[in-house]
Amino acid sequence: MTKRLWTTSVLAVVVALMLGACQAATPSASSSAPEASAPPAASEAPASEAPAASAAPSEAPALNLPAVPTGYTELDKALGADKPYNGTKVSIQTQWTGGEGEGFANAIKDFQAATGIAVQVDSIGSSHETVLKTRIEGGSPPDMAALAQPTAVLAYAKDGKVQDIAQIVGPEGAAKLKADFPSTIGLTSDGDHIWSIPTKADVKSMIWYPPKAFAAKGYTVPKTWDELVALADKIVADGSHPFCVSAGGPGTATGWELTDWVEEVLLKTEDPQVTNDWISGKIKFTDPKIKAAFDKVGSLLFKDGYVDGGGQAIVNADLKTVMDPMFNEDTANPGCWMQKIPVWYGPDFFPDRRTNGGDSKYTIGDDGDIGIMPFPTISDEFKGAEGSADSFLVLNDRPEVRALAEFLATPEGLEGWIKSVGVLSPNVNVPAEWYADNYKLAVANDIASNATAIGFDASDLMPPAVGQGSFWTGISDWANANGGNTDAVLQAIDDSWPK
Amino acid sequence: MAVDRAQGSGSYGSSRTVLVASLVGLILAIIGITVLIDKEGGQKLLASVYDLLGNAAGAEALRNGQGDQFFAKLLLVAIALLVGVGGIWLLFTSLSLLVERLRPSIRDRLLPLIFIAPAVLLLGIYLVYPAVRTVIGSFQDEAGAFTLDNWESLTDPAFLEILRNNILWLLIGTSGSVGLGLLTAALFDRIRRESLAKIFVFLPLAISLVGATVIWKFVYAWQPPSQPQFGLLNAVWTAFGFEPIPWATQFPINLPSEMLILIWLQTGFAMVVFSAAIKGVSSEIIEAARLDGASERQLFLKVIVPQIRGTIVTVTTTIAIVTLKIFDIVMSISGGRNHDDVVAVRMFAEMFQFFNDGRAAALATVLFIAVLPVMILNLRNFRRQAAM
Repeated sequence: MTKRLWTTSVLAVVVALMLGACQAATPSASSSAPEASAPPAASEAPASEAPAASAAPSEAPALNLPAVPTGYTELDKALGADKPYNGTKVSIQTQWTGGEGEGFANAIKDFQAATGIAVQVDSIGSSHETVLKTRIEGGSPPDMAALAQPTAVLAYAKDGKVQDIAQIVGPEGAAKLKADFPSTIGLTSDGDHIWSIPTKADVKSMIWYPPKAFAAKGYTVPKTWDELVALADKIVADGSHPFCVSAGGPGTATGWELTDWVEEVLLKTEDPQVTNDWISGKIKFTDPKIKAAFDKVGSLLFKDGYVDGGGQAIVNADLKTVMDPMFNEDTANPGCWMQKIPVWYGPDFFPDRRTNGGDSKYTIGDDGDIGIMPFPTISDEFKGAEGSADSFLVLNDRPEVRALAEFLATPEGLEGWIKSVGVLSPNVNVPAEWYADNYKLAVANDIASNATAIGFDASDLMPPAVGQGSFWTGISDWANANGGNTDAVLQAIDDSWPK
Repeated sequence: MAVDRAQGSGSYGSSRTVLVASLVGLILAIIGITVLIDKEGGQKLLASVYDLLGNAAGAEALRNGQGDQFFAKLLLVAIALLVGVGGIWLLFTSLSLLVERLRPSIRDRLLPLIFIAPAVLLLGIYLVYPAVRTVIGSFQDEAGAFTLDNWESLTDPAFLEILRNNILWLLIGTSGSVGLGLLTAALFDRIRRESLAKIFVFLPLAISLVGATVIWKFVYAWQPPSQPQFGLLNAVWTAFGFEPIPWATQFPINLPSEMLILIWLQTGFAMVVFSAAIKGVSSEIIEAARLDGASERQLFLKVIVPQIRGTIVTVTTTIAIVTLKIFDIVMSISGGRNHDDVVAVRMFAEMFQFFNDGRAAALATVLFIAVLPVMILNLRNFRRQAAM
């Protein structure tokens, strides 16, 4: 009985192996490296030869690759003619789906073809952070991962789970990184360590508005806070509502659009050091300077009629649909006129494309259906802008992983994304003309370069229990009460600050 | 048993055969496990087999992460099955054969232990160890040193609010589901198209908690007063001339709104179980009560309910555990942002958003302690019913 069982199972294995061996004769087509579509990687064309048609980089002769020597050892090696890392695989987990996922795929396409390194992208979407934490703590992390919150990067670094990029790229590479990413939306580093490289930057100091409707009504784009208030008053007098704001809406545990308002006003009324001290906890939420920022936002958004439905509407509005009234059929009379939302916003969220797919019929531009204005200045002295960036951390140290990390740190590492879907790079060496064909990127680039300081989204830098916890809960409370409970809310957030 | 033993001694003969068979099995299992542990084990093994068969190109492709990856995976599955199933079989066979050779008095005591051991071992690894580890973790700070901070933080006003919400869920959620379930079961018992009516109440149970929450979010949807209300509840509400109410996001109305979703789901479960129990009450007793002049209400409260007491306890405790562990509904409505946070949601946030593993462990322990008495009650009830 036993003997027969063994014989049977051994036979089964042998048969399976034979089948496999026979199959091996016919070459398998399912290789994971996307070599077919990419042009030959022989010539390292200078990257500045940007193709005129920004929408289709894959058809252009120039490759999105940095010129060798790149300044990074492993990347130079990987791009060598002998392709030393051909056939290796690097896994990377991101939160980018849809347009962002497509953009990232474009960014790494030529790199994969030129080096033979297959990049496996696990794009997880909204549960990205949860999955990543499970994988990291379970001991089988992806080789690299993207993260939006620097605090999360530092938490993993503290646990010794993150590879020190300064070690990986060596002293010269580290110096180059620090020179390429000098701003506060820069590297997540402490001391000599570099824990993550920023990749996709967002400028937040902008307001989206309908230029055609503005022209029809004779409104002008406000340059200062006072002009903004005057314009809002005029809109209310004309029977409409100036602002659309969402604190995340039911179902998503966020409140960032409203916290952004407060952070923006703070950067435009106080020295950037105040924001830094606020982040580190040196200045409390109950501090008069912070309270003043809350009050200033409240005086605008909670004023009767400024937001249709008041604070309750802010809490209940879904981020996806909050701007829909701006796309009123009667285009001269939108239901709301201005939304402060970062540069990643765009046609993906416009009502026609959102529901039916395809291209939106609404045009973007200073004289289009939807345009972008810089957030008005408040003080003459402080003209800070708010931004944020997703960044990459390296979790496994292998030569091919180093090569990919180094590639993503170069301007060309984001070129495919910039020129296809459109994204901002925090790398100072990215030439401004890469953005020129893209209205919103050009505007964002202008805003960033005109700012006296760029502050990273403060709530993303605070302890997560505050920045993604009590700050969001508190601001939701605050909006529900139409700003009538500012002191209690600020005190509650202070109380929740980790001791 | 006797037949088995006779067969055993017949086919294995001496202890040497057993030993050799076990050894061979063990070696095969070790080889299998080494292949399984190696991330590219399947590829490597298949590649070496290809080398043996003279298919050098195929082997080369496999080693480069290309070629017959599918067959390598298939091979891995086969090995995993063999090691898993075969290993367990080998373990049981050889152990029982070894024990069979012992004196009968010892053997009879050992044999059941051997058969229960793997289950106990697996329970230990996957249930007891994590539970113990969680409790220990609740007393550790980030560096792993002993601390009471995690527990101390549970006295914060914010946490007391969470605790209050959980108690409200326990009281209202449970009593609502059980009460409505009992009522519908008793009423439907008397109507003609009983099963049809029951299907309608039972149907929601087939929907997941998240799915149900999405449905109810449309019912509760709120729009500014100037806009048309597409939320069912607010559409009706404003038709009577009232201002629209944000049912799902405004405290305190959001608490009953969320509980209603659970009651909507769990009533069906309670009703079906109660209905079966009511049918089990013997008709003689009911007729006797009727003859004695009991009113319908007396009949229900004093005859039927005492008869199905055991069922009521079981259903109540089951739903009570669901309410204590409630997560999905609160998470999908607003993530517990509007004073409606509960222990399980906060535990998730502490763990995955706030990186406070210690506090998450403390919350998990609180949840465990809270569920424990309910479970003990339930188990006792089961045992009593089994004894009857």
